[in-house]
Amino acid sequence: MSMQLNYNWLLVLLSYAVSVLGSFTALQLAVAIPLAATQRQKTAAVVMAGGAMGLGAIWAMHFIAMLACDNGMDVSYDASLTALSALVAFAACVAGLMLVGSGRFDWLRLLAAGICMGLGVAAMHYIGMAAMMMPAKISYASGLVALSVVIAMVASTVALWLAFNLRGPLQMIGSALVMGVAVCGMHYTGMAAASFEDNGGQLPDGYAEGLRGGNLGLTIFVVVTILLVLMLVLHYWRQRYRSSISI
Amino acid sequence: MVELEIQVFSDRREGLLVELGRVVVANHFSLVRQRLTQDRRGAYLSMLVRGPDEQRFALEEMLGTHSRVLSFEAALAGETAVICAKPTSASAMPLAEPVAVPELPGAVMPDVLQVEHILPKLAQDYPQIYPWLVALENSVAESVRESSLMLAGRRTGAWVYKRDYALGAKLGLADAIKRIAVPALRQLAEIEQHGVHVHILNSPLCTPGMHSGCKFYGGYLEGLLSGSIAPGKVFVRHLGCRGNGAALCSLEISH
Repeated sequence: MSMQLNYNWLLVLLSYAVSVLGSFTALQLAVAIPLAATQRQKTAAVVMAGGAMGLGAIWAMHFIAMLACDNGMDVSYDASLTALSALVAFAACVAGLMLVGSGRFDWLRLLAAGICMGLGVAAMHYIGMAAMMMPAKISYASGLVALSVVIAMVASTVALWLAFNLRGPLQMIGSALVMGVAVCGMHYTGMAAASFEDNGGQLPDGYAEGLRGGNLGLTIFVVVTILLVLMLVLHYWRQRYRSSISI
Repeated sequence: MVELEIQVFSDRREGLLVELGRVVVANHFSLVRQRLTQDRRGAYLSMLVRGPDEQRFALEEMLGTHSRVLSFEAALAGETAVICAKPTSASAMPLAEPVAVPELPGAVMPDVLQVEHILPKLAQDYPQIYPWLVALENSVAESVRESSLMLAGRRTGAWVYKRDYALGAKLGLADAIKRIAVPALRQLAEIEQHGVHVHILNSPLCTPGMHSGCKFYGGYLEGLLSGSIAPGKVFVRHLGCRGNGAALCSLEISH
């Protein structure tokens, strides 16, 4: 029997807010990549931006959205697949930001970076879904799955274009809002593609040892706190840097 | 392997050796020795570098078009120097001691001392800077007025770029004009932009009888855009000025 999904809309909104917060922090770090004077500075900027994007904007958003989703049964998450999903998101974002952040802007590089990050968002989502353990079987509508991947790639490309090519408020805010759309649009389209079929109460192996909502909530809290601190530090540092530039 | 003697004039010495040293190293040359001196007109850097012959012209090109370099000369060690002055009126060689430097024909040196004096005030009051620019205009000799305003513009533009527009990718010229030059210039004056042409409609610096010739804006655009585009050298041509009877001040940007 197919199960109905119900959403807690407050958590849905929160998932978008976290995604925008992570994207904002990540893209503000990322736009400084071209200014890095040394390889070390560049690596640090890419890793921090990739971390904020992969773990904050994508991974934390996904699991807040999963907490928002009620399919009528207790769900736990396979710890190793959950960790793998975070790693994939992080790696894809690092690769994408490194691509778009180096050298002069060109469309090919932007497209490659957008595809890389879009695939990272999608891979994180579907690995995260595979980590779900519950007495049900998940199947997907292939058309909607393909659409979710396209949304992720297109919106990521647009967000990166906004971040690296514009200047001013649209660069800062617009790119984060669009990247939030990339992540959430992909996620909720991917969820619309999923059908949960009751398997008659058979629990998968390792169900009892899986991560629960409480574990995830704590992890998400830590990630979001780090994002906020990072954003504040970045803002403070930028203000200091701006006032220290001599004419 | 070749050894090159390179002599560079810049408006200030801070960071000059580091920035040009990076260019030298990026072209697979090594710095054998260097000497940095300064007088009231600017900083003078003399370098002896050694590296592969095939990279020589690339190195000369990069140094000659570097945003910190006002004028530049290079020669194989032991040969006569070839002078490569930039096509701006600010280009100049100082008569720095103890190295004897040939004066460039037709070059007009800015009054670096007066410009340096006014720059902190420009930064403090930006974008309400016209009173200071008029003060600069009146404080320098007529022969160096244009070059001094151009230098002030270049320094201000580079500062504004670093402060407000440096984050992001290097852009093409058209995009850089649209997204950086136009909003930055709009803080200072009412302007119109058509492609690579910028028209300044109401510049207080360009009223009849004041002959700065929009040089401040030219320098400002060069400083602003040189950091933002790839490759990094921008030239601004002055097509017309209200101070000389034109209907509006027109500048053409190229690279």
